[in-house]
Amino acid sequence: MESSKRPVVVKRMPEKMNLKQARDFFKEVQPFLNSDRPQIVFDMSRVRHIDAAGVDVLLACMRTIVRRDGDLKLAALSPQAAVVLELTRTGRLFEIYDTSGAAVKSFSSFLPNAIKHFYPHPAHEALSMVSPEVFVGDDEDQERPDRAA
Amino acid sequence: MDVRALLLVGGGTKSGHEDNIGGIPIAYLDVLGLPIVERVLQRLRRFGVCAATLISERARPEWFGLHARLNADMPYVHAQEGAFWQTAENTFNQYAEGGAELVIAVRIGPYAEVDYEELIQHHLDHRCPVTMAVDSEGASLDIFVLNASRRNDAASLFRNELQKLRTECKSFCAPGYVNRLNTAADLRCLALDALLHKNSISPVGREIKPGIWVAKSARIHRKARVVAPAFIGAYSNVRAAALITRSTVIEHHAEVDCGTVVEDSTVLPYTYVGAGLDVMHSVVGLRRLSHLVRNVEVEISDRKLVGMPAVNVVSRLAGSTAALFAFLPKQIYRGFFAPHHECSADITESLGQQAAALKIPATEAPDSGPETPEFPSNLAVVRRYGEQ
Repeated sequence: MESSKRPVVVKRMPEKMNLKQARDFFKEVQPFLNSDRPQIVFDMSRVRHIDAAGVDVLLACMRTIVRRDGDLKLAALSPQAAVVLELTRTGRLFEIYDTSGAAVKSFSSFLPNAIKHFYPHPAHEALSMVSPEVFVGDDEDQERPDRAA
Repeated sequence: MDVRALLLVGGGTKSGHEDNIGGIPIAYLDVLGLPIVERVLQRLRRFGVCAATLISERARPEWFGLHARLNADMPYVHAQEGAFWQTAENTFNQYAEGGAELVIAVRIGPYAEVDYEELIQHHLDHRCPVTMAVDSEGASLDIFVLNASRRNDAASLFRNELQKLRTECKSFCAPGYVNRLNTAADLRCLALDALLHKNSISPVGREIKPGIWVAKSARIHRKARVVAPAFIGAYSNVRAAALITRSTVIEHHAEVDCGTVVEDSTVLPYTYVGAGLDVMHSVVGLRRLSHLVRNVEVEISDRKLVGMPAVNVVSRLAGSTAALFAFLPKQIYRGFFAPHHECSADITESLGQQAAALKIPATEAPDSGPETPEFPSNLAVVRRYGEQ
């Protein structure tokens, strides 16, 4: 099955994500957020300090992207970022990958990893048979099952 | 018998671990309502030690109002930089001149529940000038008994930073509870063991329900939930809808704000934990969070997440008063100028409507932003969905 051909933008986040840096970062990524059905990966490997403003920007990005029917994924979380995301309960809102490559690759796969985890391979077919309109779409562009749900 | 004690806080560590959290020696931090150094002193007193002196590398500690909470009978000696062991030696000599027969030197350091009576008996039986207490694996517990008359042996011990004895002596193997207190994880482990009765540390407070200890003047909102075992320290505040669970320890003057879940964690004294957070498997305080599972320490400068109220009562009161007076004008300002949030429509109506994203193509939308060459917006709009 062919995957989506839309580009995936990988953006590396700065080391500090306090109020000022978070604002600058948001301005920087806004053109990508406002495009149609954006597919964006934030690489958080360099993040050492992130506060409530940084988390707020992540949520704002997520909100903008979801409105435009796109997806935002996080990759390579530094321990500091992981702790703050867990602390603020925002980690569970994002798909998180170990590397940016894995996050980019996940956009091109038919089923998101979360679904793959819950439905091992033989069940994929059974699942698609139950609701074929959810999973089977155009060659280039397929409806995401999690969003349809 | 005249037995006196030297409590040593500082002097470096053999293992190379940082035995402090946020610059404060672990010995001064509270465990279930009392500083560790105070607990060690109480244990020594229970075994008949008549006098003790605390020798520290730091000036008289102001952290968490500690100076007021340490035993008033215990003299405090501030060792000048680089003269820590010299100060210990001088204090030992003063004890010897003051008529002491035995001196117990305890570096904190490790927390060990040694039977001092047995230790002294062992020392007397073997007629050694110095006896070292070791754990079951033979590692030193940094606890020594010295004959007050053997000043040279004492001087040698202190000059070698408790690492080397002048003469070979038979060590005393202490079978009791030992915690090395090297890291925040060890501090958490000590509190957890105390709650589970694995050591002899008892919480300072009243057991209001089985396994839940609450110290004096602690405030727990009626909508907050505390699951045993747990400890809520003096003057701490657990606000509405907070959940304290899985052996959590909230030390004195700490505050857990609304809706926050604290699970398997220790909240250090004078720590504010913000609203709606998930604190799990951590030691939080002093504007930092040590995550014990991830084994990482994160400095948190944002006061909305983890803050530290003033230790001084007057400063705290002034801050609270200012916040109270600022509240009303802030709410009025918000009422006039804050952006209006539209109420979400009824679900049945929303299902019948077209999604906002489908109404205007992104290329025609006024706020679609500048087009970037690497991400052309006109391409994807042509075929928005497979079925169209």
